[in-house]
Amino acid sequence: MVNLTIDGKQVTVSKTATIYEAAKEAGIHIPVLCYAKKLLPYGACRVCLVEVEQMKGRLIPSCTTPVSEGMVVTTTSDEINKVRKTVLEFLLVNHVVDCPVCDKGGECDLQDLTYEFEVVTNRFEGEKFDLPTDEVNPLIERNMNRCVLCGKCVRVCDEIVGYGSYSFINRGFETKIATAYDRGLNCEFCGQCLSMCPVGALLPRPFKFKARPWQLKEVDSVCGYCGNGCTVTLGVLNKKVETIRFNDKIGVNDGNLCIRGRFGYSYVNHEDRLTMPLVRKDGELVETDWDEALQVVADGLSKAQKGLGVGIISGARLTNEELFVLKKVARTLGTENLDHSGGECYKSVTEGLKETLGVAASTATFPQIEKADVVLAIRSDFYETHPVVGMVVNQAIRRNGAKLLVIADKRGKLDKLPGARTLLSKPGLELDVLNAMAKVLIDEGLAQTEGIEGLAELKTALTDFDPAQVAERSGVDFELLQTAARQLAGAKNVAILMAYGLPYQGFNKELATAAANLALLAGIPGRAGSGLYLCGEKANSQGAIDLGILPQGNGLGAQLMLSAAAEGKLDALYVVAEDPLSSYPDRDKVAKSLEKVPFLVVQDLFLSPTAQQADVVLPAASFAEKDGTFTNAERRIQRVRQGIPTPGKARTDGAIFAAVAGKLGNSLSFTGPAAIFAEIGKEVPAYAEFDFNEIGPQGVVWGGETLQPVSHKVVNAGAGKTVEADFKLVTGSALYHSGTVSTRAKGPIAVLPEPYVELSREDAKGLKVVDGDLVKVNGNGVELQLKVKVGNRLPKGVLFVPYHFAEAQVNRLYKGEAVIAVKVSK
Amino acid sequence: MSEAVEATVAEQDTDLTGANRILDKYVDFPGALMPALQEIQEFYGYIPEPTVHLTAERLNVYTSQIYGVLTFYAQFHLEPRGKYIVRVCMGTACHVKGAGRIAETIKDRLGIGHAETTEDLKFTAEYVACIGACGMAPVIMVNDGTYGSLTVQKVDEVIKKYQQMD
Ligand code: SF4
Ligand code: SF4
Ligand code: SF4
Ligand code: FES
Ligand code: FES
Repeated sequence: MVNLTIDGKQVTVSKTATIYEAAKEAGIHIPVLCYAKKLLPYGACRVCLVEVEQMKGRLIPSCTTPVSEGMVVTTTSDEINKVRKTVLEFLLVNHVVDCPVCDKGGECDLQDLTYEFEVVTNRFEGEKFDLPTDEVNPLIERNMNRCVLCGKCVRVCDEIVGYGSYSFINRGFETKIATAYDRGLNCEFCGQCLSMCPVGALLPRPFKFKARPWQLKEVDSVCGYCGNGCTVTLGVLNKKVETIRFNDKIGVNDGNLCIRGRFGYSYVNHEDRLTMPLVRKDGELVETDWDEALQVVADGLSKAQKGLGVGIISGARLTNEELFVLKKVARTLGTENLDHSGGECYKSVTEGLKETLGVAASTATFPQIEKADVVLAIRSDFYETHPVVGMVVNQAIRRNGAKLLVIADKRGKLDKLPGARTLLSKPGLELDVLNAMAKVLIDEGLAQTEGIEGLAELKTALTDFDPAQVAERSGVDFELLQTAARQLAGAKNVAILMAYGLPYQGFNKELATAAANLALLAGIPGRAGSGLYLCGEKANSQGAIDLGILPQGNGLGAQLMLSAAAEGKLDALYVVAEDPLSSYPDRDKVAKSLEKVPFLVVQDLFLSPTAQQADVVLPAASFAEKDGTFTNAERRIQRVRQGIPTPGKARTDGAIFAAVAGKLGNSLSFTGPAAIFAEIGKEVPAYAEFDFNEIGPQGVVWGGETLQPVSHKVVNAGAGKTVEADFKLVTGSALYHSGTVSTRAKGPIAVLPEPYVELSREDAKGLKVVDGDLVKVNGNGVELQLKVKVGNRLPKGVLFVPYHFAEAQVNRLYKGEAVIAVKVSK
Repeated sequence: MSEAVEATVAEQDTDLTGANRILDKYVDFPGALMPALQEIQEFYGYIPEPTVHLTAERLNVYTSQIYGVLTFYAQFHLEPRGKYIVRVCMGTACHVKGAGRIAETIKDRLGIGHAETTEDLKFTAEYVACIGACGMAPVIMVNDGTYGSLTVQKVDEVIKKYQQMD
C-alpha cells in the first residue's frame, strides 16, 4: 500500500493504482475523457491533468501516472482549469456541436465537461469537420464529425473484443478513426465501441430518436440468450424496451456484451409476438380466452395421461422458478416424461461430468479465467457460442500472458488471438486428441494419480490412443499435441472450456468425459484458480439441470418422447419455449411425431413452425417481461427483472404452469418468484442457502467460486469417429445468433439474415463457386440448397452450416452426429 | 470509397507469390510490419489491397492497423504509380518563381494533379517541398533527373521526352 495526499486528504491505496484511481477511491473527482476503467492506461486527451508537488514545473496526466509514497497531488487550481479549458476549446474547434439532435445529449462527456468548465466562448477558430456519416450497417452509426479521438473504440475493439475494426488513419487535421480502407463498418457488431464512446460519434442505430437518456427507466436483468449470463440493463420508455444501457457496475460481464445481448432484444417488441391463446377448431387455430384454452389443455392432457401418456419438453430459457412449477405440473399429471433442450446435448454435464467428478456443473467461475496461465478450448469457438467468455480469454492472453490452446475441427476467432495454438483435428476426432493428451500425461509421469479412481482401466483403454498414431489419424501436429498436454500439467491456473448445445451433440458426453479425465490428471477440478467449464447454449441451461428438468424415474427423454409419438405410443406432447421442428436434429422425425401425436400443446413467444402444428398455443412472456432467476454456466444465480408488461393477453410461463396445475386440480400454495425460490431450496439443496431477496448485483454462486468434485474418477471415454468423404459437414452456432429466437431479432437478423454453407477457399476454387452462389449439399438422403460463404477458417473438405435458421431445414440433414458425409455440387 | 480503392478491389487477382515470399521472412518477427510493407511496395511499386489482407493474415495484425500505418507515412502508396514520378517543387523559392504555373502546365498536358496518376500508368505527379536546388528554381524532378529554370515551353519538352520513352 502507498500513502499520498490528494487535495489535502490522506489517501492509502494499492501500489498499482494510478493517481486518478486513488482520487476516485477517495471520492475526489478528476475529469477524464480518454480514460476507461476496463482499458489499459492511454493518456491522450490531457483532461485529467493534475499537479504533483514532487514533479513541479509540468502538469501530470493522472490517468496514467502511478501513485508513489508521499506524493502530494492537487487536482484543481486556476492553472489546471485553464489547461483543461484550452483542451476543450481545441476539441470544440472542429467538433460539430449538434447536441439538440444527438442521441448522446444528456450523457455526453464532452457536453458535460464543456458545461463543467464553462467553455462559453472559444478563442480558436477553425473549419468544422464535414465527414459523411457511416450508416451502411443497420446497427451502429458512425459520425466522425463528433469524434474526439480518444481512441477508446480502437482500444476496446482490440484489447477486449479482439476484432480490430478501427485504427487512427492519416495525420494532422486529417487524422480520424476509420476502418481498413475507410469503408463502412462491417464487423461483429458487439457494440462494445459504442458503449465506450464518450460522445455521440458512435451510436446504436435502432435507438435513434427513440428517447432522451434521462427519460429511460433502467431495469437490471440478465441476457436471455446464452449461458454466459451477462447483465443487460433494459432502457424502458412507454412500456417498450428501447435499448440496452451500458452497465459495468454489476454482473460478470464488466459491461461487455455480444451482438445478441446488445441488439438482440428487439424480438421482445416484435409485432408477431403471440398475444392471445389459440385453439384449433375445425382445423384452424383461432383466438380464444385463457379460460377456454386452459380447460382444453387440462382436459387434453388428463385424457392423454389416462391413455398412452404425456411428454413434456421444455426449453432452457425459463427461469428457475418457472421450471420448478413446470415440474409440479408434471407431477400433478403423473408423468415422468420430462426433459429439456432436445435431451441429448446436456449429457456432457449430467453424465460426462457426473460420472467423473460427481457434480453436474462447471467447477469454477468466469473471473478466474482471466487469471489463467493456460486456457484449453475444446471444439466450439467460444467467441461464437459464448462471446463474452471469448473476450475474457482475450484479456487473459493480452493482460496476463495466458497461453491458449484450441482443439477444434475449424479455425475460429480464438485461433487469431496472440500466441494461440490450434490442434486442428479432422471433424469427429477431437475426442481421440483429448485421450492422447491424457496418455501423454500418464506416460510422461506428469499425471496426478493420487486419489484418482479408475486409473488402471483408463490406462488400458488409452493403449489405443498412442499420441503419434492419434496425431497421424486426426491430422493434429504430434509435437503440438505433446506440448499442449505438458503445458496443461505444468501450469498453475488452467481453464478448460467446452460449450454444449443443440448443434453440438455428437460425442458430447464422451468429449466431456475425456476433458474431465484430462482435468483430473492435471489436478484441475477443485483447485482454486483452475476449472473445467461446461457452458450451456441457453440462458438457463444450468438451471434446468440443477432443477432436474430431466426424465424422472423411468420416464422418457426428449428424443424417446419424439420417437414414441412418431410411433403412436404417446398421446400428448406439451412443448414449452422450444421449436423442435426448427432446431432439433432430424427434422423429419420431429415432423412425424408432431403429426402423429393426438394432442399437442405449444407454449411460446411466436407462432413457430412447431406451434403451427399445435392443438393449443399458449402465448408466453419473454425474459424482459418476468421476474425470477437464471443460473448461468458458472453456477451463478442472478436476478431476472421485469422491465415491461407482456403483450396483449400473454402470460409468463410460470403463471401459465400454475394455471394449468390449477385446472388439473392442484392449486399451488405459493405464488411469486421469491416464494417459489424458497420452495426450490427444499428440493435442490445447493439453492437452499440463498434468499431470493438477498441475491445481490453480482448474483450468488452455488457451490462456491471453486466447486469441489464429489468423486475423482477417470472413465474410458471411448473413441471418436470421422467419416471418409470428400466433404464433411459440421453444424454449430454462428456468433450472431443463439437458438432460433434471435432470428426474430432485428439486430442479429439484419447482420446475418440468411443461412449459408461456409467452405474453404480451396474448396470454393475446386467447385468454381464464389460468395453468394448457390450449391446443393447432399447427405443423409437429403438435399439442401444453400448460399456459399467462403472463408479461411475451414480446412479443405470441411463445411460448416449454422443451425439457427428454421427455413434452411439444416436439421433434416443433421441427425445429431458430430460430422456428416455430404456431396456438394453446383 | 475512393476510386483508387475500388480499382484495387477490382484487381483481386493480384499475383501474391511475391508478397508471400517477402512475408515468409517476417512471419516470426513481431514488429516486422514496416519493413515488410516497404519490401512489398518495392516489389509491386505500390501496396495492392490484396497484399494488405495477406499481410494481416500472415503477420496476424489487423487490416485496419496496417491501413493506419499506410496512411500515416507518406512513403506508402495505395494506388499503382506511374513509371515516371514527376515531383514538382512547391518550396518557397520555386513558389516565388512560378511553381504554380509549372504545376498547372503538367495538369493541363497530362491531366494529373498532386498524387494522381495517368490512366496508362506512365506518369504520377507529386507536389513536394524544397528539393534543394533553389538556385535553378522553378524545379521539377522526373525519377532521378532534375530539370531547372523551367518555363512552360521547357516543361513541354521534358514531358515530350518522357512520353516518347516507354
Ligand atoms: S461493434 Fe464490436 S467488433 Fe465492431 S467495431 Fe465495435 S467493438 Fe469492434
Ligand atoms: S469514435 Fe468515439 S470512442 Fe472512438 S475515438 Fe472517437 S470519440 Fe473516441
Ligand atoms: S448472448 Fe451470451 S455472451 Fe452475448 S450478451 Fe447474452 S449472455 Fe452475454
Ligand atoms: S483521461 Fe487522462 S489523458 Fe485522457
Ligand atoms: S524551393 Fe524548389 S528547390 Fe528549393
